[in-house]
Amino acid sequence: MLAAVTLSLLRGLITTLELFFLTLLFALPLGLIISFGSMSRLAPLRGVTKSIVWVIRGTPLMLQILVVFYGPGLLFGLPLLPRFTAALVSFVINYACYFSEIFRGGIQSVPAGQYEAGQVLGMTRPQIFFRVTLLQVVKRIVPPMSNEFITLVKDTALVRIISVYEIIWMGESYIKKGMIWPLFYTAVFYLAVNGLLTLLFGRFERKLSYFK
Amino acid sequence: MKKKLLALALMLGLTASLCACAAKNEPARDGSDAAYVRQKGTLIVGITDFAPMDYQNESGEWIGFDADMAKAFAESLGVKAEFIEITWDNKIMELDAKAIDCVWNGMTLTEEVTTAMATSEPYCLNGQVVVLPADKADDYQDAESLGTLRFAAENGSAGAAQLEELGLEYVAKTTQADALLEVASGASDACVIDLLMAGAMIGEGTSYPDLTYTVQLSSEEYGVGFRKGSDLAEALNAFWKTAYNEGTVLKTATTYGVQESIIKK
Repeated sequence: MLAAVTLSLLRGLITTLELFFLTLLFALPLGLIISFGSMSRLAPLRGVTKSIVWVIRGTPLMLQILVVFYGPGLLFGLPLLPRFTAALVSFVINYACYFSEIFRGGIQSVPAGQYEAGQVLGMTRPQIFFRVTLLQVVKRIVPPMSNEFITLVKDTALVRIISVYEIIWMGESYIKKGMIWPLFYTAVFYLAVNGLLTLLFGRFERKLSYFK
Repeated sequence: MKKKLLALALMLGLTASLCACAAKNEPARDGSDAAYVRQKGTLIVGITDFAPMDYQNESGEWIGFDADMAKAFAESLGVKAEFIEITWDNKIMELDAKAIDCVWNGMTLTEEVTTAMATSEPYCLNGQVVVLPADKADDYQDAESLGTLRFAAENGSAGAAQLEELGLEYVAKTTQADALLEVASGASDACVIDLLMAGAMIGEGTSYPDLTYTVQLSSEEYGVGFRKGSDLAEALNAFWKTAYNEGTVLKTATTYGVQESIIKK
């Protein structure tokens, strides 16, 4: 029994992990772009970006998932995205907005003097960003990023609202067969994934500790 | 800056509401639903895991009285039936957004359902019953005696509606099976679920041998739900009449032990 349940939960875990990795793959670069938008010297661009971040961070992710999946069909009669794709799109947008604020914090925490020094040496803005600022940003944002990564693993449970069969859905389906323990057993899988993430982040932080 | 932001937010809101209005005014879904289903070649059936109506056999295929009849109906349309487990609370959104084509899952024809969907004629009789531990059953044989019990019921189900009508409070669960679990674990004293489900899931030889059902609070009818305005509901009524006369309906019902509940045509 335990083996059969573990196997079916592992199938759910694969969906969970797919969503986790694909979200990171798209949300990290998108977050960086959004952070540039919210630091832009152009006031309208800054305004639009900040409004988007406000809407996305200000509404529940569950609602965003429902809107992305059902919205096109309900409002405009358009064909729907596949369930997993809709889940992914809403996660990427949501997490990119959170990431953008972390990036912005990291970038703005680098003293302006370094930027000025770069200018004096005749470096261009992109050169200063990629050669001077970026590595320091990476180092500073590791702790808040590890928070977001861990939250992301657990947030994937929300997609069962649009019937994406992730691990909680798989665990819950056993209740109908009179077994409640598989639902709680899913915690072991979350703990394992997040334990691994914690270890990786710890190691990463130590690797980056060679300069202050 | 603040003023600019506010103006921007207002504009966004205005555009969004305009879009919503425009969409509603369009005759977006003209044309026959049956033609739409035929053209894409699949009838997507929204279900939940609900024995003996829709459940999976050993090899993962969906079977059950409803599942088998849905397959036969799809065949009569010349398409394939495809089953997808949905979150029951979202069934109307699933239909309207065309994520599924019908809800065929022992669905009680409540007022909510008949106003939001195009429903078939009722095909099966059911009732809501009170389930509680067998050793307590003797004290609770009529509706008047239920006032002191702590109840659980599926959120938005016919059972929950019955409890509300009686003015009784209850814990809302996502499925009927969850409500049963509440009672089995002692978290609630009793729950209200379908008679069909109670017949299949509690008593000797099941996972819940110590539970039993007592009071029947209501009787109700099962139907199949399609998108509002869909012509598939009529198509199903015609199909059902033929299948009933040919004996297929009763034969399928007997396979799954629900022949007593089938409505005669």
